[in-house]
Amino acid sequence: MELLAPGKAGARRAAGVSVVSGLVWIAQAAIVAQALGSLLGQGAVNALGAAAGFAVLGVLRAALVHAAETRAQDAADTVIGQARSAIVAAEARRSDDNTFGGAGAIAALAGEKLELLGPYLTRYALARARVGVLPLVILALAFWQSWAVGLILLVAGPLIPVFMALIGLAAKEASARQMAEIGTLNDFLVERLSTLVDIRLLGAGEAVTSGFAAQAGDLRARTMAVLRVAFLSSTVLELFAAIGVAMVAVYVGFSLLGALSFGTWGAPLSPAAGIFLLLLAPEFFQPLRDLAAAWHDKAAADAVLDELAAHAADQGQTLPGQGARVAPLPGPASVALEGCCLPSGRPIRDIAIQPGERVALVGPSGAGKTSVLRLMAGLTLPERGEVRVAGQPLSMDNADAWRARLGWMPQAPHFLSGSLRANLTLGREGDLPRALHAAAVDKVADALPRGLNTRLGETGGGLSGGEARRMTLARAILSAPDLILADEPTADLDPATAALVTEGLLAEAARGATLVIATHDPALAARMDRVIDLGAAK
Amino acid sequence: MKHLWAILRFMWHDQRNALLRGAALTAVVLAMGAALLGLSGWFITAAAAAGLAGVGATFDVFRPSAMVRFLALGRAAARYGERLLTHDATLRALESLRLRVLAAHLAAPHGKMLQIRGAQALNRLTADIDALDGVPLRLALPVLAGAAVLLIAGLVLWALVGPVLALWITGGYALGALAVAWATAQRMVPLSRRAERAAQAFRGRLIDLIRGRGDLAVHGHLATQRGAVEAAEERRLSLRTALHRAERRAGFLLSVAGTLVAAGALAIGLMAAQAGTLEPALAALAFFTALALAEVVAPLRRGLSDFGRMADAARRVGRDIAAPELVPGATRRAMGDLVARGLSLLRPGGGVLMQGFSLTLRPGQTIALTGPSGVGKSTLLLALAGLHPITEGQIDLGGSPLTDWPEKGLRDALTLLPQRSALMVGSVADALNLAGPASEAEHWAALRAVRLDTVIADKGGLAALLGPRGAGLSGGEGRRLALARAILRRPRFLLLDEPTEGLDDATARAVLAGIRDFLPDAGILIAAHRPAEVEFADRVVTLK
Repeated sequence: MELLAPGKAGARRAAGVSVVSGLVWIAQAAIVAQALGSLLGQGAVNALGAAAGFAVLGVLRAALVHAAETRAQDAADTVIGQARSAIVAAEARRSDDNTFGGAGAIAALAGEKLELLGPYLTRYALARARVGVLPLVILALAFWQSWAVGLILLVAGPLIPVFMALIGLAAKEASARQMAEIGTLNDFLVERLSTLVDIRLLGAGEAVTSGFAAQAGDLRARTMAVLRVAFLSSTVLELFAAIGVAMVAVYVGFSLLGALSFGTWGAPLSPAAGIFLLLLAPEFFQPLRDLAAAWHDKAAADAVLDELAAHAADQGQTLPGQGARVAPLPGPASVALEGCCLPSGRPIRDIAIQPGERVALVGPSGAGKTSVLRLMAGLTLPERGEVRVAGQPLSMDNADAWRARLGWMPQAPHFLSGSLRANLTLGREGDLPRALHAAAVDKVADALPRGLNTRLGETGGGLSGGEARRMTLARAILSAPDLILADEPTADLDPATAALVTEGLLAEAARGATLVIATHDPALAARMDRVIDLGAAK
Repeated sequence: MKHLWAILRFMWHDQRNALLRGAALTAVVLAMGAALLGLSGWFITAAAAAGLAGVGATFDVFRPSAMVRFLALGRAAARYGERLLTHDATLRALESLRLRVLAAHLAAPHGKMLQIRGAQALNRLTADIDALDGVPLRLALPVLAGAAVLLIAGLVLWALVGPVLALWITGGYALGALAVAWATAQRMVPLSRRAERAAQAFRGRLIDLIRGRGDLAVHGHLATQRGAVEAAEERRLSLRTALHRAERRAGFLLSVAGTLVAAGALAIGLMAAQAGTLEPALAALAFFTALALAEVVAPLRRGLSDFGRMADAARRVGRDIAAPELVPGATRRAMGDLVARGLSLLRPGGGVLMQGFSLTLRPGQTIALTGPSGVGKSTLLLALAGLHPITEGQIDLGGSPLTDWPEKGLRDALTLLPQRSALMVGSVADALNLAGPASEAEHWAALRAVRLDTVIADKGGLAALLGPRGAGLSGGEGRRLALARAILRRPRFLLLDEPTEGLDDATARAVLAGIRDFLPDAGILIAAHRPAEVEFADRVVTLK
């Protein structure tokens, strides 16, 4: 619950204002009761005065409600904003993936799911504050006017926590199950929509839509069964409120007629007091009904808080440096690993790569090729041993400067949503036409509908696998790096494309760049000066 | 607004009776609430007057108090029925909407099909459909029922307390609600749209930051990307704040309108009673009814707060369901060859891909298409399957142009296995049944043809369950299951896009031979990327 702490002070003030707004209604009720009572008693009634008093207090009450909502929303915005910033900061600070879930799940948590805290902090919290005060005040007023009415409310009162508990349980379960059902229906639709092409090509359109209709109908029937329980429990609450109010009305009516002569402190119930009690009785139950209506807000918020805690639980590895652009680290373009080990704890043989060398890292899957490249790129610091770059130990402080000298070709390129140009430059200076030409993708870029301004989607939109790989090469060599780290640059490529990529990399080496390539491809490894087998013993 | 209407019309058309009954019950609930409070006020005031006049003994207490009890209990019961009915109708309408979206996408052009496959597009579509549940529940039904109740209340009040109070109360609420709705809805739509755009930007940029973390860090762009995420969040926050402010303002104004109407009713009633033109009890009735009618306009606030979001969602979903539904057509046997003549194709994004390409595929023949990546092998297969538009030339299937073929007949005659074939949750048999009804023996024969029979038998046979996207099978096994599904169609022409991807060389050759044995008479065209596929073909066509 410390996640809610930032908005606590604001929420408390909002709750206070909300309670006061509820109290104003009592004054309004008193004015109306007084006016109608005097009307019956042949006394002088200032009609306009009473109406004006009622209106002014009503506007005051609306303004107080507005103020309470504003404060509560501000508190909610603070809580949500801080939780969201914390997620973004944590994701930008770490270098490995969160075990909480994939990028989509984290984005959903930081986006729409966090918003669910809003209704909890505004609707539910305010209703709960009112429940704590208003029924008690109204009960006291009822006893003051008539012990019988007080008794009716008192009897109905204790029943309500019992029902609240029952409803809470039922509604929580109902909303959880309903959320799950809706989730499943969306999963069904998502699955079919992601298989559209296959369904169409297999001529299965009609079969799939009728199957979907049957499943959706089945789910709807089950959802309605759940909703029936939820609605029934809130109907019971309404029924109790209605019975309570009706009993007050009937008692007051009979007392005023003179048919009942008990229930007051001596003098018979005056018309004004009767009308006053009738106006207050529904307000005795109203906060409870508000709370019941907002119950699923609490259930949803609890689920979100659990997920936030799960997300924060995995601290992960801290990324060395900020990932910001700084001046390059001076010194030779050399890199060496001394006494390092893999995340599994298995030691890595010592590696020393001299400036201008062309080195292939080979070894079976799991030998640690990618881990070695990540260590060299300063994406993680070794738990043991040392990575020496440009003649000095790699540290938190010089990681950004070291990376400013690198070219990086990852195994699976991820394209940001943005133009091809933005994806290639990533904000850096460099000779883009030269890089595109060297990676043999200049013609590909020209053929795109809007050239370099074409927007790429999450799947690399419009580029084939080989083209996307060559774009990554162009990105890596754009800033004429001193050292290029490439992870399986020719995997899954046809021989012609693989040759293009290989030549592009060798051209960089010819320019003087150091080349470190992790590969399974014997043809590529053979073109290097030296092959380091990570699977072999030291 | 126009799109919201379209969605509403669709839902209305789909669930007219249920929605009408729901609206009627909503109105009953509101009317009973107003009657309950109005009657209670009248009852107590009249009882007090009778008590003061000393005629309490002759006052008929039983009918009014029975009425109060009936209205109190009846209202709770009607509310239960109303909730069930409106939620059921809404769920049914949303179900039809989802079905329609699915059907529309099934008939969409191939490029659109690929677009929708991205996780973000899917997320957005489902969120949009979920947002539309408010169209009947928080917009159409409350407005319809509210208008009806105001009308009825106006007529009843006119009869009981006269035209002045009737017009003041109902007119006041109607005008107040209209003014607030008009002023708020106008602001909400653009704000919601911009907030939604900011939310999408935040989401997309955060996903980019997480997925591209390593790349961004090495290129010194991570800090900038984080700044971009935070900028989107700031924009979203300020827009959400503006939306909330507009919603609160609407709530405040509705509340003030209710207070003024009730205060006015109190003043008019009191003055009329003092002047002797209205009984005090009826003045109380008018005031209490005015108080209760606040319930009629209160739901408007929720509807208005969601209005922009719903309008925005309706705009996008409306585009999807506007497309025509898949039209089933007659089956037709293809007798002749698959012939492409002088074909010109554009890339999916634009730009010329190939020009003047010709090819004839005969039944029983196997042709391999080769050429470097990006030369257009996949696009050519898509065009031959009728999923990619051709700019010049013609494709004939069995002597008639592809465009003249009805969808069903075309799919029966020709099957394409695309490069990335997807599997769904379900059993192996479910996956195979997507190809159409077939016996268990046929299923096993097809699995044997792609050398998957022992794998499936080890997993528990045809009833073995697969997870989402074929989880539980390796990449190569999933590929072979998709192959088995394709050959079960027993098409005259089978187009395969890199069919043996992820298989070792020996398995690849065995699978290709198995396919030929299973379909001895089919014409097979392979977009080939490895020697096993090229050597399997009778003829090789190289694209340049």
